Amino acid sequence: MTKLIKGTSRRGALKTLAGAAAGAASLPLWARYAQAQSSEPIKIGFQQHSTGIGAAYGRWYGRTTEAAVKLINEGGGINGRMVEIIAEDDGTDPKRGAEVVEKFANQHGCDVGFGTLFSHVVIGSAPRAGELKLPYFVVSEGHHVASGMLNRYTLQPGITDVKSQVQAMAPYVSENLGKKVTMIFPDFAFGHDHRDFFSAAIAEQGGEVLAQIAIPPSETSFTKYFPQIPRDTEVLYHVMVGPAVLTFVKELGEFFGDQGPEIFGFIDSLEAVDISSPGLEFLEGTYFWEGMPRYAQDDQSEHEKFYREAVGVDETGASVSDPSDVSTYAHMFGCWETLHVIKAGMEASGYAGPLDRAKLIEAVEAMGDMPESQAHPQGAKRFNGKTHQVFGHQHISRVENGRLVRVHTTSIEDTMYPDEVDYTTQPL
Amino acid sequence: MRALPVCLALFWGGMAWAHASEQSFVLLLPTDVYIAAGVASVVLTVLLLAVLPARAGEAVFSPTPLLRRPRWAVRHGTSLLATGVLAFAVWQGFAGPRTPMENPMPLLVWTVWWVALVSLQGLFGNHWRWTNPWTGVVAVLARWTGMRRLMRYPRGWGYWPAVALFVAFAAFLLCDPAPADPARLASVVGIYWYAVLFGVLLFGPAFLLRGEMVTVVMRAYGRMGLFARARGRLAVGLWGWQGVVRRAPPLALAVLMVFLLGTGSFDGLHETFWWLGVIGVNPLEFPGRSAVVMPNLIGLVVANLGLLAVFAACLWLGERIAGTGRSLRASVCLFAPSILPIALGYHVAHYLSAFLVEGQYVVLMLDDPLSSGAHLLGLDGFYVTTGFFNTQDTVRRIWLSQAGAVVVGHVVAILMAHALAMRDGADRRRAVLGQAPLAVFMVCYTFFGLWLLASPRG
Repeated sequence: MTKLIKGTSRRGALKTLAGAAAGAASLPLWARYAQAQSSEPIKIGFQQHSTGIGAAYGRWYGRTTEAAVKLINEGGGINGRMVEIIAEDDGTDPKRGAEVVEKFANQHGCDVGFGTLFSHVVIGSAPRAGELKLPYFVVSEGHHVASGMLNRYTLQPGITDVKSQVQAMAPYVSENLGKKVTMIFPDFAFGHDHRDFFSAAIAEQGGEVLAQIAIPPSETSFTKYFPQIPRDTEVLYHVMVGPAVLTFVKELGEFFGDQGPEIFGFIDSLEAVDISSPGLEFLEGTYFWEGMPRYAQDDQSEHEKFYREAVGVDETGASVSDPSDVSTYAHMFGCWETLHVIKAGMEASGYAGPLDRAKLIEAVEAMGDMPESQAHPQGAKRFNGKTHQVFGHQHISRVENGRLVRVHTTSIEDTMYPDEVDYTTQPL
Repeated sequence: MRALPVCLALFWGGMAWAHASEQSFVLLLPTDVYIAAGVASVVLTVLLLAVLPARAGEAVFSPTPLLRRPRWAVRHGTSLLATGVLAFAVWQGFAGPRTPMENPMPLLVWTVWWVALVSLQGLFGNHWRWTNPWTGVVAVLARWTGMRRLMRYPRGWGYWPAVALFVAFAAFLLCDPAPADPARLASVVGIYWYAVLFGVLLFGPAFLLRGEMVTVVMRAYGRMGLFARARGRLAVGLWGWQGVVRRAPPLALAVLMVFLLGTGSFDGLHETFWWLGVIGVNPLEFPGRSAVVMPNLIGLVVANLGLLAVFAACLWLGERIAGTGRSLRASVCLFAPSILPIALGYHVAHYLSAFLVEGQYVVLMLDDPLSSGAHLLGLDGFYVTTGFFNTQDTVRRIWLSQAGAVVVGHVVAILMAHALAMRDGADRRRAVLGQAPLAVFMVCYTFFGLWLLASPRG
């Protein structure tokens, strides 16, 4: 038996493998032969941010991946073969990312690569995946896939991109919170994406951005910027990230007190942070985008309930073994769903080995609507085979009594935008 | 990907347990008050030494004998065990899981040895006598083959090979793109172990004691520990008492002691927003270690040489003020051991957060050392947590523990420097005067160390 990678995936897979072996012994001879023929596991290279600035995400991406693979293996694997995760650390480093992709293809004999989160690592690794013709399934949210910047072997079928997320917020914000918006964002590419995508989207809704306040990335005190917020601002849109984010919230609260505009932000700022932490009281009554609602909602689907249990997350979005260990709940479902897309793609294409990689790409490109299911607990999705990007529902939650309560779910149509590329025209 | 939340990178050897919220909560703490209190306690120590009875500073370092030293003849056995563990780690480095948190190689080298064993050595005393992975093998080889050393260890080399090797080690730790990559680390460690064995066979044990970086560093830190032999008995005393009792180290070893602090300081510094600003990196969009190899190498060298220069300048100035007539070289050698408690305090403080997380991965690795699905410790379903970085209360406790280590390190350093000056025959007036620049330096360094803990990191 090949040595499987440590973690619950490995442990789960080992148990499942033992079960499968016992099961195989009871099969008729010809079937046992067929079983043996295909008993090599499907190897999925997991490009994990185990170290570096992405490590907090990497840990939860790892945990979600392990849970998904355990489920897939318990269900018989993919095309009758067990799934083995080969996790390699990329140090959240683009250069190492490309090396890891190379290892997957040349050293570990992986069938596909998967799981990259940080944009700069995706952008550094994808060209190598394209050269090696290794299907590369990223879970990054970056717009770089759909923008046409990457290649035919890079796909993002399990998580929506930032452009669609930001754009889909505009209708709710303009109808319910206000049309005069001031944006506060960190002054680099991530903040600029928000600035550009949201400014365009709110204008389409008849709203306007009164002021764009760009904060230098190394700033740790914000009070001096707040007087720049125009007095007639109805909505304050913030996307601060970094170690000073709690300071930002605290100072914002001190500045506005009980009065002030409606406040809308992206949960990325406070992903893995307990929203009821002391010092964050000011967030009460403010709104957040959430990819998947961290707190179990009253109408939580059975699929989401199953997903929470499988990953080991309680109804507040924290680890079942430590209520203060808050997960990266708004993003990590992407790993679960992507692995199920890989499974569906391999099954649809009759994938048998690396020679079928092109067929796998075509099979995933041919996927359209994906209904909400155990494989898609975040909700229904629609995959665009030309842009290699999936689209799905987005959520807006309001902080009520220290909990995030969902107040709006967008339609998938709200998130769509015209194609910017057709990867299917590139050769395989 | 839009989110680069927070994530301080607590590097040791490239393993960063970046976590979203620890640094965020630290920034909410009244760290300026804590820093002031920490610096004040170090200043108070300096003032007390100036007014307390002349020998009080020395008296705190007098050891208490405990028991007759037992004659344990097991050190070759435990050393062989350590060799076995190391061999296992190297093997797993090539054959085991590929991620640094699951592979025994980086966990054993970085977490168990560099973080834990080095700290224990400094806090308690010389365990390296039992835990070093060479002496057992050398003893067995000598017994079986009757082999003697082939050459005499060149006298002129002194401790300089260890200094050079330590600088190389620091560069690997702080500047290599992937020092925690299991296979890469296994190659480095395996080759190093073999080369050292060859050195010992060639030059005899002197090579281990003077040329081999790990043993020299461990023995230097061992001088800080609470427990040691004194007049045939096991004795206990305040950290640093051995350093006060023992002879001053030779120049190379003194330089190494300063480099231990310089490297530890740069380790903390190179994660700060300040340093990232200096090298022009957006701290919220850190481009990865491979993009900052050269700036960090330059920073490491400058930090070490700069610290050595400042330390020497303080001593030179102190000699001029006090007029003790000591040469600069003699001063550096005399006072260098007083740097060690600061370096140790930094070491403990810097790696505490990382250890709280990595320690859990070590336990998981022990639960299943061969990645075979076993649960030797019965930890099925155990999840690693970083929840203690998520609440203000636990973050405060962690931060104050780190700050405490830094402050205690400096207080001990000041006491040691005073005791060393007195021991060297100075009268109290001269000792206090001569120490003044060094004391100012240590007070400033306390501020710097606490600022490092409190400042935002990328």
